[in-house]
Amino acid sequence: MLSIKNLHASIDGKRILNGINLEVGTGEVHAIMGPNGSGKSTLASVLAGRDNYEVTEGNVIYKDQDLLEMEPEIRAREGVFLAFQYPVEIPGVTNMYLLKAAINAVKKHQGQDELDAREFLKLIKEKAAMVEMKQEFLYRSVNEGFSGGEKKRNEILQMALLEPYLSILDETDSGLDIDALKIVAKGVNLIRSEQRSMVLVTHYQRLLDYIVPDYVHVLAGGKIIRSGGKELALELEEKGYGWIDELAAA
Amino acid sequence: MTDIIDHYVDQYIADSARTSASLPDWLCAQKESAISQFKESGFPTLKDEDWRYTSLKSVVSKFFEVKVDETSGSADLSEFLISELDSYRMVFIDGRFSQQHSNLPDAVTGGDITALGSMTTAEFEHAPQALTQDQTTKHGFSALNVAFSSDGYVIQVADNTKLDKPVEILFVSLSENTAALPRNVIQMGNYSQAELIERHVSKNGLSALNNSTCQVDIAEGGKLDYYLVETMSNSATQVTSLNAELAKDSTFSCRTLTLGGGLVRNNLTVSLNQPGAHCDMLGLYSIAGKQHVDNHTNVIHAAPHCTSNELYKGVLDQRSRAVFHGRIKVEQDAQKTDAVQSNNNLLLSANAEIDTKPQLEIYADDVKCAHGATVGQIDETSLFYLRSRGIDETDARSLLTFAFVNDVMEQVEVEALRESLSTELAARLIDENVSLSVS
Ligand SMILES: Nc1ncnc2c1ncn2[C@@H]1O[C@H](COP(=O)(O)OP(=O)(O)OP(=O)(O)O)[C@@H](O)[C@H]1O
Ligand SMILES: [Mg+2]
Repeated sequence: MLSIKNLHASIDGKRILNGINLEVGTGEVHAIMGPNGSGKSTLASVLAGRDNYEVTEGNVIYKDQDLLEMEPEIRAREGVFLAFQYPVEIPGVTNMYLLKAAINAVKKHQGQDELDAREFLKLIKEKAAMVEMKQEFLYRSVNEGFSGGEKKRNEILQMALLEPYLSILDETDSGLDIDALKIVAKGVNLIRSEQRSMVLVTHYQRLLDYIVPDYVHVLAGGKIIRSGGKELALELEEKGYGWIDELAAA
Repeated sequence: MTDIIDHYVDQYIADSARTSASLPDWLCAQKESAISQFKESGFPTLKDEDWRYTSLKSVVSKFFEVKVDETSGSADLSEFLISELDSYRMVFIDGRFSQQHSNLPDAVTGGDITALGSMTTAEFEHAPQALTQDQTTKHGFSALNVAFSSDGYVIQVADNTKLDKPVEILFVSLSENTAALPRNVIQMGNYSQAELIERHVSKNGLSALNNSTCQVDIAEGGKLDYYLVETMSNSATQVTSLNAELAKDSTFSCRTLTLGGGLVRNNLTVSLNQPGAHCDMLGLYSIAGKQHVDNHTNVIHAAPHCTSNELYKGVLDQRSRAVFHGRIKVEQDAQKTDAVQSNNNLLLSANAEIDTKPQLEIYADDVKCAHGATVGQIDETSLFYLRSRGIDETDARSLLTFAFVNDVMEQVEVEALRESLSTELAARLIDENVSLSVS
């Protein structure tokens, strides 16, 4: 599904990613953990196509295509989805409008029929119910005045609607109460399948109790310094990030 | 300058010789005084403080003809009509009323809707104060307009009545090189209510001047929703001067929506003369190419307990230029005034330019006055967010531009008008994108 080789990226001349290597197979769930400022969101943004990062070395292959050559909207239509760590508020654009434009852009690109107003309404109501989002949120401006948890849930709603092949969730669990966390996990598990892959960026084991990853990676100083199975997350939780510093130094 | 002044004065003399016998004395006196003023002042220049950002070269270098005869009825105006808009419609072509294109029943309940150019002696005897007492703020343009007083709408709404449909006035410029000088008047009775939509359009590529004035008087408790919709072609020049006088507990909602016109200047003066008066002034300008739009607003709080709320939003692309000058004056007696003003601009191109200037003059001590101006670009983070959801860049930009003006657009309460404006705005935004990507 996704193959990242020796990826280096910088912003304003500051080097942030220093040679990332990561293979995500079809149907796999990978968790990425690591201290603040280690480059997790940067990696996610580069994969989604944010253009203020400069890729200085390395390459990324997604479904046999050169991902870095694709415009962000093309990546989205090809099935890459980023749930933002800080979802953006867009006053004046309703959630409904964004969701409909998004799903139809994807459908059109993939050669499927676009949804008409009625079909869309039916589908979105179904998905909203799934993430336990009240319908009034659909008619509000995108994320405007949403609480932190509501914004995260809105990201999951978009994911559930678009059914991407590769979902990158950047700290979607941060700031969620336990009920919201369960809803997010439910959304993720619903679309989890043999055809879909996921990258979960998180600081907490508690998310991984609900979404059990196949692999866990530790990112520090812009590099993956350790990879392992789900038990690595537990080890990390126990020993803390000080342990990582030692690893990084070694 | 003298040449251009003489050009209009000569036309005035010829026109007066023809019409003055049938006009009441008070009107002739207004016309005489206005032409003397025009003779003296001519058109404003960049040296006038109020006009320093707006060059009038395109106006003073062309000798526009003022149309004095009746207009031909054969023109096809369908491209200018909003088909879903159910209204009482008055149509003026090149500044002259066209009965044939208008859609007015013999009588409108509670409303008296006539054209200045065809008023009879009897009608002049019952002319509203807004017409008989000329209070137009005087600069060269309004002076020239009142001097001719050739035509325009004269609308009176009776006490305690509400007009059942919006009144739509369509000013169409069709003839090359003409000056339309509509002089308009709205008199709102006590506790009366009306919606008025004034639209200015022109044939594509036409060089024309539309120089209108409007005097609005709202009596106690009256409420007027007024829309000034400017969509002339980019070769046309439009100058509008509106003066509104508000009595006790009256409300004036004024929305100025400017999408077209090569050079547009709006002068709006609103006087809140008695306690409880309220005015909303909303403005939207979305321009590109070399369009130049200048909004001058002047809100005068002359009595206590009045409120004014002003919001102007602008979208500027390519080499367009906008000016916003918002003056709020709070007189000494106007305690408990609550006045808000903001002007927000979105620049879509590095070559576009905005001059925004608030001017607060406050002579009372117990008042709330707030103002603010912003100039910004499309937010890159929002743009990326939309693109990351599969929306292409061009659409995402238009969407964010729409979102920016959305709060003004939402206040266009006449649905058919709002729809038509949205469509026109979208078409213009998309055109611009296309022309940008080609160049
Ligand atoms: N625009 C920028 N200019 C300069 N430095 C930046 C910019 N954006 C990010 N950085 C830096 O890049 C580094 C990595 O940031 P990133 O957001 O990827 O960290 P993270 O691992 O996601 O951290 P967190 O766990 O706090 O979310 C940080 O040191 C950050 O300050
Ligand atoms: Mg982060």
